[in-house]
Amino acid sequence: MSSLAGRGRGKIRPPRRGLASADVDFETTWAVLERAFREIHTKNASALSFEELYRNAYKIVLKKKGDELYAKVAKFEEQWLGENVRLQITRLLTPPLMVLDASGRSLESTAEKRISGEVFLKALKEAWDDHQVCMGMLTDVLMYMDRVYCTDHRQPSIFAKSMGLFRDQILRTPVKTDLPTLLDILKRIILDQIQMDRDGEAINPHLIKANIYMLEGLYESEQEVEDEKLYLQSFEQDFLGTSAAFYREEGERLMKESDAGTYCRHAKRRIDEEHDRCRSTLSESTTPKIQRVVEDELIRHKMKGLIEMDSGVQYMVDNDKLQELSLVFDLEARVDPKKSELTRAMQKIITEMGTNINNAAIAASTAPPPAAALAEKEGEKSKPASSAAKINQQTVAALKWVEDVLALKDRFDGIWKKAFEEDQTLQVALNRSMADVINAFNRGSEYISLYIDENMKKGIRNKTQAEIDQTLEKAILLLRYLQDKDIFETYYKKHLCKRLLLNKSQSIDVEKQMISRMKIELGNSFTLKLEAMFKDMTLSEELTNGYRNYINSLGQADPKRVDLSINVLTSMTWPLEAFRGGQTSDQANESGKTQVVFPPQVERVKMGFERYYNEKHSGRCLTWLSNMGDADIKATFPNGGKDGKPRTHEVNCSTYAMLILLLFNDLPAGASISLEEIQARTNIPPNDLARNLQSLAVAPKTRFLVKEPMSRDVKPGDRFTFNDNFKSQFVKIKVGVVSAGNKVEGDRERKETEKKNNDSRGFAVEAAIVRIMKQRKELAHTSLLNETISQLSAQFKPDVAMIKKKVESLIEREYLERIDDAPVPSYRYLA
Amino acid sequence: MSSHEEESPSATAAEKRTTTLKHNIEKALAQEKQDIQAGRLKDENPLDKSHDFYLMCDAARRGDLRLAQEQITKGVNINARDEYDYTPLILASLCGHFELVQMLLEQGAKCERDTFQGERCLYNALNDRIRNLLLSYDYSKSTDPLQPLAGHITSLLTRDSPQTADITLHTSDASFQLHKFVLSARSPYFRNKLREKPETKSWKLAPKIPTGSFETCLRYLYFDEPEISPQESEEAEKAVLEGVGTLSRQLEVPQVFETILNPGDRRQARQRRQDDVEKGRDQMETWFRENVLQKQFEVDADKTNEVHWKRDNSSFADVLLLADINPEDEDADDDTTSSDHPTTTIPIGPSAPSHRRHRKTLFPAHRAMLLRSELFATMFTSPFREGQISSSPDTSDSTSPPLQIIPVDCSPAVLAVVLTFLYTENASFPLPIALDVLHAADMLFVEKLKQRAALLISTLGNGAAGSIVESPAQSAADQPHDWIYDVVRSGWDCRVHRLEEFGARYIAYRLESYVDDEEFKELVRESAARIKARQETDTVEIVDDIRYYLSERFRLRFEDSGLGEMMDEEEGSGSEKEEGEGEGEDDEGYAGSPGLAPDLEAHAGAEGVIRTLDGEVAGDEFAQDALNYQILLGKIDGLLDELTLDA
Repeated sequence: MSSLAGRGRGKIRPPRRGLASADVDFETTWAVLERAFREIHTKNASALSFEELYRNAYKIVLKKKGDELYAKVAKFEEQWLGENVRLQITRLLTPPLMVLDASGRSLESTAEKRISGEVFLKALKEAWDDHQVCMGMLTDVLMYMDRVYCTDHRQPSIFAKSMGLFRDQILRTPVKTDLPTLLDILKRIILDQIQMDRDGEAINPHLIKANIYMLEGLYESEQEVEDEKLYLQSFEQDFLGTSAAFYREEGERLMKESDAGTYCRHAKRRIDEEHDRCRSTLSESTTPKIQRVVEDELIRHKMKGLIEMDSGVQYMVDNDKLQELSLVFDLEARVDPKKSELTRAMQKIITEMGTNINNAAIAASTAPPPAAALAEKEGEKSKPASSAAKINQQTVAALKWVEDVLALKDRFDGIWKKAFEEDQTLQVALNRSMADVINAFNRGSEYISLYIDENMKKGIRNKTQAEIDQTLEKAILLLRYLQDKDIFETYYKKHLCKRLLLNKSQSIDVEKQMISRMKIELGNSFTLKLEAMFKDMTLSEELTNGYRNYINSLGQADPKRVDLSINVLTSMTWPLEAFRGGQTSDQANESGKTQVVFPPQVERVKMGFERYYNEKHSGRCLTWLSNMGDADIKATFPNGGKDGKPRTHEVNCSTYAMLILLLFNDLPAGASISLEEIQARTNIPPNDLARNLQSLAVAPKTRFLVKEPMSRDVKPGDRFTFNDNFKSQFVKIKVGVVSAGNKVEGDRERKETEKKNNDSRGFAVEAAIVRIMKQRKELAHTSLLNETISQLSAQFKPDVAMIKKKVESLIEREYLERIDDAPVPSYRYLA
Repeated sequence: MSSHEEESPSATAAEKRTTTLKHNIEKALAQEKQDIQAGRLKDENPLDKSHDFYLMCDAARRGDLRLAQEQITKGVNINARDEYDYTPLILASLCGHFELVQMLLEQGAKCERDTFQGERCLYNALNDRIRNLLLSYDYSKSTDPLQPLAGHITSLLTRDSPQTADITLHTSDASFQLHKFVLSARSPYFRNKLREKPETKSWKLAPKIPTGSFETCLRYLYFDEPEISPQESEEAEKAVLEGVGTLSRQLEVPQVFETILNPGDRRQARQRRQDDVEKGRDQMETWFRENVLQKQFEVDADKTNEVHWKRDNSSFADVLLLADINPEDEDADDDTTSSDHPTTTIPIGPSAPSHRRHRKTLFPAHRAMLLRSELFATMFTSPFREGQISSSPDTSDSTSPPLQIIPVDCSPAVLAVVLTFLYTENASFPLPIALDVLHAADMLFVEKLKQRAALLISTLGNGAAGSIVESPAQSAADQPHDWIYDVVRSGWDCRVHRLEEFGARYIAYRLESYVDDEEFKELVRESAARIKARQETDTVEIVDDIRYYLSERFRLRFEDSGLGEMMDEEEGSGSEKEEGEGEGEDDEGYAGSPGLAPDLEAHAGAEGVIRTLDGEVAGDEFAQDALNYQILLGKIDGLLDELTLDA
């Protein structure tokens, strides 16, 4: 073992004295280094031996004299910068620069200022470059000191230290006492040059960039904290400040001088310019900040004014200035992701335009004010022309409204697509405004239904499938905005009913398409009843065929037999009151169940069908709606043909007209019947009677009867005679009854619809409340309100007062009770 | 019962998984064995029955750092296995020798996951500390020890600053800036060509062979992995491939073509890559020995200026390195020399007085390789004289200035070591010059060499820890070794913490002989001064370290005997006393222990007494150790008092 230890002793030899611990004469060594440093600074380094310098520095550090060396080097640099470099630069502070400094504004021409500024910038750049190169070399030589001394002693590297010296000696030292420092001058020059650049003068961006690099490479302290770059600390703030002032002023001037479009283009250009400037002249890191300044000054603070300018958004929309709108959008999007100003402006415009459309529609529909009250009495002969005109006017107003709204929508969709980059938030806002416009118009539901009705009856004739699809889509589009969908349903049902029963629809296919579209859009429950109507129609057809076959199978080939086709309608599904409208309301006291008297040959057929139907479905009660029917009859007029020969015409008329005409069959020629007599013998409601008589006795083309006296109005006491001398060139004659045209409701009618609607809403609300409470058992008042509203929102927007009322009524009926000791008002469900 | 039923299927599933896993492993192992027998795969852990390897394994079992390092230096395969399939790494981790495991890993012992031996090693690790260490050296993450060298040479191809290339090869559509010494070292073809015409500066290559082929081959010569860069078309690729085939025959580097033709799986590829790099390194080394080391020459100190080497020398050197021949190096084993020159008085460099004629040694060298030292890299890129490379390969003026001579402040032997490392990654050198190498590496910023020197010192310099404790008699009898002070100071100078630790440990285990030494006091004072300058802590680092190792030294004894608790008690009382700072109190503390009345003043003598008692009264041994411990601690406190230092 001792041999081992002995070997160890002999083996490790102490390090060479030359390296480790020889005495180094600090002063002489330093003298060598200092001389070399001076050479380096005067750019004579190529003859120096790196190895020798390194070795000298290395030895000093190894001898633990790193601190002295460090201090000496720093001192040397300080002197060098202070004595040589600073002088060279301050010499260049020529009058143009200094005069500016003294007075604070430019007395010299900009060109002069620019040139002397550039000279200064160039000198500073060169000084900085030299300093960096030299310090790079010094750092190389002093590598060992940096690694060992500086790391161990927590000193900044000599490079960082000397950069700090440059900052203090060159930039931070006043040129003379009482004069600003070079840093301030530099700052002013750069800002000046940038201002020149903004004013359109050519400057040298590379020089500025080089100086900016310098500021970026220097720090407030030797710690070199990233946030404390001289650039950030001393320059950027000022730059942003002056820029803000400049743009504020420029923005205000432009607002006064130019229109919105020009302003937008200018702002855009400025933003791009600043972006370029940051890249070419300043630092990229400033880009977002200056961007923000420009945006603040040129856009954010001015946007409201800009939008509201005479040549603002309103003007652009009115004149379809899509490009400028797009600019506005672009600018707004920069400063506000929600684009609230633009949104507000656009909403305002839509609302305004929408209100105009609404008002126009109201104005159009109520143009001759007294006519409105009479509108629903369109059957009166007294004013058939004005009444018909009235109907047309109303319908036209409705169609126009729908078309206008659609056009409005199309227009703003176009703007949205082309100018607003299909922005999501704007789309939502625009849609909301559209909805507001549509819902603000209280006849919206009716008009939309009417629009569909009109198209179903006439519009889609001669149209291709694609066009039809488009029309339907448009209708659905509007429907989507509609809040009170239940009202729409009511109207639609009514209109659909008429179309179906009176065979007015152009194509059942299209009708069904429409229904299925609605189904997709509004849900199954919405179309349930509409579909049931179609089903009834199909069933009725089968029923009619069945009955006809049944009659044939009886084998009674009675030529005189009346052929019957029939529609059996489920009373709950069909809005039949629409047809009884005038009747029931006029003669409410008559209990509505006036059964007309059919002549025996018709009565027999009716009885036959009832028998047949009851055989098939027992327990069902058929109510005959004779006012809805029509009849084909053959009528022979003695002098109708040429040369006074009799001629037979096929006449299509309403059931009521048939009944009236049949009365004259039994009369001798030339005999007359009074109005009262007809009324008594047929039991036709007076309204309908008058209307039908008007068609038969007044309308020139179908004047089968002659009225005594010859006046337009049918009055009690009038007498009617068969018109033997009726002539017509057509074989088939259709007797029009003034009732079929769909039209806008009158005020009273509307009130009724509303009342009915309110009732049905009431039920819906109650049902919803009960559904919710049954599930929850106990619920606070507000949550109940919210849930009810959300449940019903698919159908309509329930009125809060109504909900409250319904809750009260449910409490009265003991479906619910109040919870007495609950902290918030709450209800409990009583099973 | 139900729970049991539930468990059983999952248990069988687990079993099944294990069995499949086991099958897979067995299959993989069998496959591997086949591959090895067939020569497709190299055995990473070949069987080694040599005596050296036996010693190595023994050292691994016992944790003998020094013995292990000696075997490694002798060239034992660190990854070999013994007849029981144990590798030194497995043994060391199994026996829980953390430091030894670390040392083995540092020197290239492999512990690769997903191999049989690697998993075995991890599985066998004694504790988590070692396991984590093994995992942190996971082969797939750690780099091949030769990778830095290979990477450097490869990077020469693309490195443009500083300019180091000295020959340009032109193909039909491209040119390559290359280094003659690399070409010559790596390819017999180039070697012959260049030997004939060392001054060649540019060379036209056969125009028929595609540039891509040249690139592949040249990259291979520069230690890059041979692969063909993707070409636009298949034909182009084929042409390149054929070109590579031709070239690899012509340049006599058949491996390129073989590798490209038959890449093999990941493991094979890696092994071949390792072989390639190793082979390349050997080529470099051979060339380096012939053309650099053997070309070194001596001149008189005052005649160095007359040395004029042309650029077109046969070694292709572009720089000459100059080392002082220090007279004392020549008879380093002579103890009298060092006593003649006390540590503080020998000056350096040219001003050094020499009894003999002052001579210097010059080494031809290549900047391209010197760049591996950060100092040289900086030097050659700097605008100083050294950075001005006289001629680019294209200028063929014959009047180019002679090669620059750059002095390196170390002995020729050390410079040779440094150069060897830079050229070959090979860092084996005799212990005596280790400190010099350490300093040179520090000065030249060759971090890895520095670490190797430190490793060498701290392993070989140490008597194994165990052995000292086993024979306290001998260690106490030894005189203090001055060199340990140099080691500690060098550790400080060169910022190698490992050496300071090593020194503290070394001293702690022999504290009896150091504690009263004057120079030890000096060392403690220096350590304290260092701390003052840095103001990090209030302790004297070396004293803390010594205390720590001291406790380790004695604790080992107690724990071995299962009497750790007793030790703890003693230690507790000891530390209380330490706080009390008085030796007198220590006295009282030990008065309580029966049968212990050593004379503290004459502790050396007392130890002697105790030692004689040792043999006779075995029961007292531990108590006596504890006493020794306290005595030594007391000594240190006294020393600190004397130096008026707080600790």
